Amino acid sequence: MAPNMGRKGQMQMTETIAILFIFFILLLFGIIFYFRYQQSAFQEKQEELLGVRAMETTLKALFMPELICSRGEAEPEDNCFDTLKLDSAAAVLEDNKDDYYFEIFSYAKITVHQVYPEEKEWLLYEKTKPGSTRKEPTFFVVTLRDELSDSTQAQYGFGYVSVEVYS
Amino acid sequence: MILPRNSKKSQRRGQMEAIGLVIIVILITLGMLFLATFALKSDSQKKIFTRKGLSYSAMSAVMKTTVSADAECFAQGFGSGTPKLGADIIENCVKYLGVNDPIYQCRGPISEQPLHSCDFFREMTEYLLNQTLGSWNKRYEFRSQLISLGGETPIELVEIKVGGGCPPVKDRDSSGLFPINTEAGLVENVLFLCD
Repeated sequence: MAPNMGRKGQMQMTETIAILFIFFILLLFGIIFYFRYQQSAFQEKQEELLGVRAMETTLKALFMPELICSRGEAEPEDNCFDTLKLDSAAAVLEDNKDDYYFEIFSYAKITVHQVYPEEKEWLLYEKTKPGSTRKEPTFFVVTLRDELSDSTQAQYGFGYVSVEVYS
Repeated sequence: MILPRNSKKSQRRGQMEAIGLVIIVILITLGMLFLATFALKSDSQKKIFTRKGLSYSAMSAVMKTTVSADAECFAQGFGSGTPKLGADIIENCVKYLGVNDPIYQCRGPISEQPLHSCDFFREMTEYLLNQTLGSWNKRYEFRSQLISLGGETPIELVEIKVGGGCPPVKDRDSSGLFPINTEAGLVENVLFLCD
């Protein structure tokens, strides 16, 4: 075999090895990138599911007959909580937390805050998940109807409901 | 067809190069697809729900809120009861627009001074929204304007912009128009919310 041919073969071999090496490096990068992407996509999906649960829990809380402003058989008022109901709801929700409300709210914390005319807070429901790592808060602005004010008409305060769900 | 040895070799080389090109094209396409998935990612369901619901609920709550006795609207002799922000106060504001001595002169929650109804409405709205949307670091824009019965150019009553407001180019949701019919014309209120 001519020495020239052998050197050429060696060169080609080195070239092939270099190309294969680069190819596998690229493949490795691709695989790492794909797994990272999958990992973040999974986390995003989990966050999305938690967000959906937060939304559902907030809606349930907003339309709870135990809290919403109602007047006889008339249509209940949107985004309004009755302060009289709020005063007694915490005890009712606490007493029936495990056998009734847990099925509705699962692991969550529901608080109603009044910011006007005076600051006030009602903790309505709290059930923390053991070993929970994340919580998703959702806020909604509500009016707080006070039927017991000195005025002849019902007074409407301003506040918000905060719903935190645990994952 | 019998080709010379050299020609066969260069044909194989050409094929190899073509395959390499195809691989590169495939890789670039895959990269572009990934980029497109990231770029075209829309807002999450919860984000949209919160923005829409929050803007509507905040606006409806502001309009329904009654002024507390602490504001001493009573002392100015406006009769019994406490005025509703989205009814009595707005009505009084447009009725006595430009007049220095309106019937209602409630004490503002920020300045703690008796104010003209229009100034009181602005201060109260600012205070209420700041205590809620502001404390959650939301960017918002509140506008209230009077469309007079004469059909002239609308008069700006209140404009509150927080964090630069919400221009139409941004992802924003509105509470929808909250029109209030008054003696002086129609007062249109709107709240825009953009995260």
